[in-house]
Amino acid sequence: MTEFLLAASVFILLMVAVGLLRVLRGPADIDRMMAAQLLGTGGIAALLLLGTATALPGAVDVALTLALLAAFAAVMFVHSGGSS
Amino acid sequence: MSLALLADAALVLLVLGLAFWINAASRAFPAVVGYVAFGLLLALAWLRLSAGDVAMTEAAVGSGVTGAVLIAASVRLRSAETEAPPPALPLRLLALLLSGLVTAALAGLVLWTTGPAPSLADQAVQHLPGLGMGNAVTGVLIAYRALDTLLEKVVLLLALMGIWSLAKDRYWGGIPGPSRIQPTNGALILLARLLPPIGIVVAVYILWVGATDPGGAFQGGAILAAMWLLVMLAGLRDAPAISRPWVRLCVTVGPAAFIAVGLTGFALPNGFLSYPDSIAKPLIIAVESVLTLSIAVILGLLVAGPPERQP
Repeated sequence: MTEFLLAASVFILLMVAVGLLRVLRGPADIDRMMAAQLLGTGGIAALLLLGTATALPGAVDVALTLALLAAFAAVMFVHSGGSS
Repeated sequence: MSLALLADAALVLLVLGLAFWINAASRAFPAVVGYVAFGLLLALAWLRLSAGDVAMTEAAVGSGVTGAVLIAASVRLRSAETEAPPPALPLRLLALLLSGLVTAALAGLVLWTTGPAPSLADQAVQHLPGLGMGNAVTGVLIAYRALDTLLEKVVLLLALMGIWSLAKDRYWGGIPGPSRIQPTNGALILLARLLPPIGIVVAVYILWVGATDPGGAFQGGAILAAMWLLVMLAGLRDAPAISRPWVRLCVTVGPAAFIAVGLTGFALPNGFLSYPDSIAKPLIIAVESVLTLSIAVILGLLVAGPPERQP
């Protein structure tokens, strides 16, 4: 089971790396922002899988914090008129 | 364990690659978005190093609140940004070489030092039961190195004063932000109504769990601040005028309570900022709760900015 969880987290990390390309290349700022949001989701998933597989203390709490604040960057972006 | 090693290697490559790219980015906004993503990956890396407290602070403060502030700043500065010609290639290569050398030297120090690193971890853990604490990091922050933590909170207060001092004279004591935001964006309003109740519960939980597991006052305060800012950004509530007595009270009560508890240390046990053994845990929880409130209000007002309107 541990092996499976680890393999899944490696897979998700690789997918996160693919998503990272959009952050790097853009072209528009909104693309980068949305890619960063996707990366947040993938990162939290990888964190939870890694945390469960290797019994890291506090992994769930860190994931909870990240999930709560993930949307915050996008809110700030929309609010400061970055999408226009 | 080879799969775990593979995951770690992927993480390290991602962190290094992203760090390189952030420095190479030509404009501020892509670099800032890269930084937000970097914070998330870094939190993951800290967690893999069993530094849960650092991971959580990175998640709450580094990636969450700071990222939001930087995004707002870079969007605001976008029109003022000029396309400066990049420095010449030899200069860039030299900078790369020098920073690479610093990294290599640091890595060498960690990898090739002989013997175990000097550590006070054992002594720190030994006295934790007396404080009723299970989390060594919280114990160190609130008990052993309480003076540092106190000064940290005072620094936050100074930062807030620095931002307020940017206000024009006629707006002193006024309301932060350019104008009252009209609640128009439906999705944002929905988020600002749904998320804060959950966020407040999580923030209290993070504060409480800080006694035994990763968490604590700063992380809880950062989450509370984010929830407050969300309500302000959606236009559901306006930011408070900074001359309001409750604002001043909330901002100062944390450091004040910390100092008060510290001073009673003179009367009861044996010195400034020492806790009497019998009520150490309730005292620490009380100080942390009040600190959380102060940190939340200070961080929220830091992001809201200097007053720009009459109250």
